[in-house]
Amino acid sequence: MPFKLFDVDKEIPEREKHIYVKDEHNCEIDCNKSTIPGCMTERGCALAGGKGVITGAIKDVIGLVHSPVGCQYYTTGTKRYPSQPQLPNGKTFPIDNFNLKYSFGTDLKEANIVFGGTRKLKEAIIEANKDYPFASAIYVNSTCTTGLIGDDVDAVCKEMTEELGKDVVAFNTPGFSGVSQSKGHHITNDAVFDRLVGTKEPPKTTEYDICLIGEYNIDGDLWVIEKYLTEMGLNILSRFSGDASHGELCWMHRSKLNLVRCQRSATYIADLIEERYDVPYKKVDFFSTDYCSDNLRMLGRHFGLEEEAEAVIEKYHGEVKEELEWYKEQLTGKKVYIFSGGPKSWHLSIPLEKELGLDIIAVASQFEHSDGYDKMKARVKDGTTILDDPNSLELEELILTNKPDLILAGIKEKYLVYKYGIPAIQIHSYENGPYIGYEGFLNLAKDIYNNINAPVWKLLEFGSE
Amino acid sequence: MSVNVCKRDRQVIIDPLVTCMPMGAMWAVLGINHGIPLVQGSQGCSTFVRYHLARHFREPIEIAVSSFHESTAVFGGGKNLNISLKTIIQRQNPELIGVVTTCSSEIIGDDVYGFVDSNKQELKDLGCDGTEIIPINTPSFAGSHFTGYDRAIDALIKNLSTVNENIENDNEKINIIPGLLNPGDVNEIKHILDTMYVPYTMLTDISETFNSPLNPKKQEDPYFGKGGTAVDEIKNISSSKGTVSIAKYAKTGAETLEQTHKVPAVTDNLPPIGIKGTDEFLKTVNKLTGYDTIDTLMTERGLTLDLMADVSARYLAGRKLVIFGDPTLVTGLTSFVIELGMEVVMVTTGSDEKTFPTDIESISKHQSIDVITEGDLKVVEDYVKDKDNEVELILGSSEARFINYDTGIPLVRFGFPVYDRVGYHSQPIVGYRGAKRVAEMITNEILAKYYEKKHWKLQQ
Repeated sequence: MPFKLFDVDKEIPEREKHIYVKDEHNCEIDCNKSTIPGCMTERGCALAGGKGVITGAIKDVIGLVHSPVGCQYYTTGTKRYPSQPQLPNGKTFPIDNFNLKYSFGTDLKEANIVFGGTRKLKEAIIEANKDYPFASAIYVNSTCTTGLIGDDVDAVCKEMTEELGKDVVAFNTPGFSGVSQSKGHHITNDAVFDRLVGTKEPPKTTEYDICLIGEYNIDGDLWVIEKYLTEMGLNILSRFSGDASHGELCWMHRSKLNLVRCQRSATYIADLIEERYDVPYKKVDFFSTDYCSDNLRMLGRHFGLEEEAEAVIEKYHGEVKEELEWYKEQLTGKKVYIFSGGPKSWHLSIPLEKELGLDIIAVASQFEHSDGYDKMKARVKDGTTILDDPNSLELEELILTNKPDLILAGIKEKYLVYKYGIPAIQIHSYENGPYIGYEGFLNLAKDIYNNINAPVWKLLEFGSE
Repeated sequence: MSVNVCKRDRQVIIDPLVTCMPMGAMWAVLGINHGIPLVQGSQGCSTFVRYHLARHFREPIEIAVSSFHESTAVFGGGKNLNISLKTIIQRQNPELIGVVTTCSSEIIGDDVYGFVDSNKQELKDLGCDGTEIIPINTPSFAGSHFTGYDRAIDALIKNLSTVNENIENDNEKINIIPGLLNPGDVNEIKHILDTMYVPYTMLTDISETFNSPLNPKKQEDPYFGKGGTAVDEIKNISSSKGTVSIAKYAKTGAETLEQTHKVPAVTDNLPPIGIKGTDEFLKTVNKLTGYDTIDTLMTERGLTLDLMADVSARYLAGRKLVIFGDPTLVTGLTSFVIELGMEVVMVTTGSDEKTFPTDIESISKHQSIDVITEGDLKVVEDYVKDKDNEVELILGSSEARFINYDTGIPLVRFGFPVYDRVGYHSQPIVGYRGAKRVAEMITNEILAKYYEKKHWKLQQ
């Protein structure tokens, strides 16, 4: 049977179609569907996908959550999204890591629920702008509460844009929209496109302008790619949205080529820009040395910068080659389960096997769609378990039956995995990243090695040698 | 001497110091042995809380959610709750499920009490009636995580405590409602009571569920954290000699028990932080139970005093500090740092705890303290960065780390959340030993920051 019903799922047999053990049948995995209530899912909400993943990375905007205090609290400084204060116009934003340091919220109370929260929202926008007048724009996220009470956040933002003379943008991300964070990505892509793209012109343009879409600078990832691309002669005109400034989002249409890095959360906007502005896009992958070299070469060919690309590859691949080979020798045959939020399962499956010798026994994703699962299926060997939206109990069963040597997952799963004696690495926000590019892949190899070989795992038995 | 009370002068919150009611309720339910919180709401309402608790405790935090979507907003969450209860009980068989409501379920008008009742027969037919199901109303817009904790404890007490028809108060125990204390603090309270041979019921006990050992061979599957208060034990609390609520925000349950079962409630004392606070706690326990404060605890008291004599006049006298966080912990720490001879210039808490200003006033002695109510982190930042205030030390959570980086003013961490250092959840600040630890942490920060430049002062 290609589909697999876990023992822990016998009371929820619907789960069977979400778990496929790869074979020659190439079965269609059930995905992007509502989660079974009470099944201990790891999924989040649209606000997490919108503000948490995308807009929370932008360094010069006031991010305001229109909600009771919790939704704001939980989206304050949580993602590992560092930013630098330099702006594209040559100026420096007065506060570094503004996106990590400050969050803004309307702190709605009972009376606001009864009488509406729009007046409080306006006051909050005006006050936030007064405290940080240098912020380039104000982004307002609506939530479950303001969605249900029917506050017209779009109208308030429109009014405030005129009053303040700067962009005040509504992102309608009530937590109950869609089945997972993924809906929040989509809503945010659409809002940025509808409201911002095409509204500003960049300070200057070149023939080598690119826009890096779906790269959020987790633990400095973006800075690694940016270094390679800049050194080979490309100019990053816009970033969506790691270490980005508000202005960059507004002139994405002037890019010569859009690169889509996280293809789950940001292909939407690349499609929209291509459709309206004829800017082509390419899906790119910089995880691991092979993918990184392939994609740099592809860009070299596209822009006629082949030699420059080769020079970058030689320099940076050269720096890590030997060490990676050593890690491969140490890690060969170790069994790994990758449980990513979105696409990292298929980004990493082949590189971990080919370049580090690991044995991928299972891959999973919280919120991938069928195109992502097609890639996942294509990039694992027969016998690998592929899971959509796995829950805690399935994770436990997988650990106890398949006995992986390491799990790549999020912070919510990591400590659970530990309790069963297995090491785990945070793959959403990383342990000691960045993990992208050549040096990033070496960091990942080091973390994998250090986790698997941490002496603690051999001391679990009393009196063990 | 006095306090100058003022309220945050903005509508907008900039970096909140409190979070939502559901989190407090989930915290309380996770202190039950084999207890599972079920969030009646959107997935973010459980996922975000799990993230925040996991990064503070570095432990698994298992919370269920009934996964609201657009259709739920239209048709209500009855079906979601029904499926959730069946799924959880059949797969995990917990002793107790706390149904934690959210903004969305409350706004759409879900009647969780009605839902739970109407599910009872079906659960019985399925053989799933061995799990206690406790609805807890926690719409975030009606309070903070402190209120949510209070409501959860009250709901547990109301639903579980049975009428004791025998003799009044006959089980020799006292009930302790610890509030949102860390495992290290709950353990310290247990240590004090154990040392006095006082039997107790902790309402509820997160000391192990949020701090459990790594021992795969003994790990249950499906996962439950070790420990927690047994449901059966809670059923017996109406026979206790008294209930002590450490935190004022968590006293409703104690009052309920006093009204319904005549169990005396002690809810307005100083928390057991610092010398006076701990003395008071021991006296309360002694009064309720008749058990003496024995020598072991007096030795601990003496060791703390010994350290205070060593450091307070020489290093700490008159040093100015601000304290922010949980109103109970801020009150207790204010009392203790005054005992250390330091000068508290400003305190703030994100909640609207009504008695907070007067509590601070009653312990302010000769000092004049600025009390900012319903504060946020921006209030702390502005105060600390105002050079006229001459702040030399910050006591607070990891949230103030950027203020510390920007100003160089030392930050001594306590409370929740502390995610950028380790050990803070497992070590106490309460009790005599907790006081000693706080005094050591404060002194070491002061020595590193203000003495190393003139290192010869540290020679002896």
